[in-house]
Amino acid sequence: MAIDVRHNQSDAFKDMMANTSQQDAPPRFSITRILLSNEFGLLVLIVLFATIFATISPAFLSKFSLYALGRTAAVNIMIGFSMMVVIITGGLNLSVGAIGVSAAMFSGLLMESFGMPWPLAVAGGLAVGAALGAINGIIIVRTGLHSFIITLATMSIFFGIMIFLTHAESYRGISPVFTGFGRMKLFSIISPLLLVTIVVALGLSVLFRFTALGREFLATGANERAAELSGIRVQRMITYCHMLSGVLAGVAGLMLVSRTGAAIPSMAGQLGQDWLLPAFLGPVLGGTLLTGGRVSVLGTLLGSFLVTMLTTGLLLMQVGAFWVQTYLGLLLLFAVLVDLVRRSYLQRRKLI
Amino acid sequence: MSLKRLITTLVAIGAIPTAALADPSSRIALIPGGPHPYFAAWEQAGADAAKEFNLGEAEYKVPQKWELGLQNQMLESLVTQGYNGFLIFPGDPVGTVAIANELADTGAPVIALAGCLKDPSDAQFCMGTDTGNSAYLGTKELLKELGSGAKIAHFTGFLVDPNTQLRIDAVERAAKEEGAEVIQVIADIDAPEPAEEKINAYLAAHASEVDGIITTAWVPAVVASSALRKIGDKRIKMVGIDHDEVVLQAIKDGFVHGTMLQNPYGQGYIGSYAADKLRTGCTVKADAPFKSNALTDKFIDSGTVFAGIDDVDNYVGSMQAITETLFATFESTYLDC
Repeated sequence: MAIDVRHNQSDAFKDMMANTSQQDAPPRFSITRILLSNEFGLLVLIVLFATIFATISPAFLSKFSLYALGRTAAVNIMIGFSMMVVIITGGLNLSVGAIGVSAAMFSGLLMESFGMPWPLAVAGGLAVGAALGAINGIIIVRTGLHSFIITLATMSIFFGIMIFLTHAESYRGISPVFTGFGRMKLFSIISPLLLVTIVVALGLSVLFRFTALGREFLATGANERAAELSGIRVQRMITYCHMLSGVLAGVAGLMLVSRTGAAIPSMAGQLGQDWLLPAFLGPVLGGTLLTGGRVSVLGTLLGSFLVTMLTTGLLLMQVGAFWVQTYLGLLLLFAVLVDLVRRSYLQRRKLI
Repeated sequence: MSLKRLITTLVAIGAIPTAALADPSSRIALIPGGPHPYFAAWEQAGADAAKEFNLGEAEYKVPQKWELGLQNQMLESLVTQGYNGFLIFPGDPVGTVAIANELADTGAPVIALAGCLKDPSDAQFCMGTDTGNSAYLGTKELLKELGSGAKIAHFTGFLVDPNTQLRIDAVERAAKEEGAEVIQVIADIDAPEPAEEKINAYLAAHASEVDGIITTAWVPAVVASSALRKIGDKRIKMVGIDHDEVVLQAIKDGFVHGTMLQNPYGQGYIGSYAADKLRTGCTVKADAPFKSNALTDKFIDSGTVFAGIDDVDNYVGSMQAITETLFATFESTYLDC
């Protein structure tokens, strides 16, 4: 379920909200609340579309198809997480692709040119992701400019420096153990990359639900001023969120390295722009608010999975290639409208 | 006689036994990296090959965007749909190797078309334009017109495409050999918006300093041709690439000196034929006379030729001879059947 701290920045306010929720809201885990949740809606859509695709094209449920779907979804979900952890602060990170590729290329460099063992190279890549994320965060809090502008600029800067340093050449000297991981099939059907994504999702859920740090991230996004008055070091939280975003983008980049067997500068397209759509679709469909303060890790996971499944299903149904984008756009619109209806229903019933 | 008619005739005369042996269960997919006018000829080439070689189908499937991930997803989907032969323009010469190997593992022949995969890969071979050579020959043609001491600008494709660096190097080499100087390279512009912006801005500021222009990607060739027409000064000589109508008309009107033609139809047609042969029992000859390029040692040059004002009306004919020669001897040269 989504975690929302938009209205509980101060203890007094928290108490007030607690009292209010006790009087008006249904029990925390009521069936109604679950049925009306974003996540349940996404689950229904996933089952619905999977049934449609499987009926029209039985090959949709073939082992290869399911394996490929899981592998692709794993990366898309991770990209969604990378954006999600910045969106919760009310910000954006347009440089997720550029950071992910830079981290992956650095890992490739360490493995190929310096002969480093893959765990160290992976750690190095993730450190680069964190560092680039930190640069974003520091510039944003120091300048006070919106993250949209800053990350739009750093997207070009990070990508440009990476292309300059690598001369757009790929690194193929990747450890066979590492590349074997991306091509492995568990029970002929499950990609280990999907397991990585699930582990990260669990970690993020724990962070936001059970740790003070996670709550402080959300409080910062809900209302910066109130969070500051509550003693939260807002600027530090924003920087941490961007660092986390950089690390998650690095994980996504490294998953692609493992899957393709090489670190390639074009893995996220020109300037890393190919990652922007999956980066936004997952969190937005999943119920993470663009205004900040609310996160849904499960929603992002399901949203990204739905988009990946829809693309795969449409391709399988031989829908004209150019219609796939149209259908994806329609899905996004449909999901936003359904969410709007859901919200008004909840408000009318005083459930929120 | 059109290229299509020529090849039909060739097949009718010389390759009837080939058609008889072809397998209607062959389902060949021709997949570019994304939408681009260069690949449009593949659709007709596949359709013609399917008809003339009695293939089940040879379908042109375009990923909706230039995204490596989308191309991979489409390829995986095509396997699930039962396609059993693949002609692929690699979204990335290294990044596409893994999926190409997975396709080959299903028993489907994979041929890299118009662009190569980096060795080692399980692709049977690569058939395309020798991009470096095309850029080199194009620059030589330009400098024949301009003479030594000329100052030229080079407009080219995306830097993430390793072919771009090959083109840049080839143009530099040709210029050096002819005593000319490349005073500006503008890359990353094989899309309308950046090409319009950068080429127009450059010519607005520096047209007087430039004697010639070489373009080695489709969109920059079109945009530069239009820009020279707008400027109206025929002093600047240009050699473009490919056969866009804008470029061909600019050659006829004297705004562009010529263009380096490539052979996408021949690639799609012969590639479909080869994929079917490889699927139905033929193998690639161990001693096939492949060429080498920066990516692979199994390269077949599908041909490139310069077309100036005298050849532009018959540019299809200019490629026919190359396609005819390649097709007529393809099986005996490259395959063991």
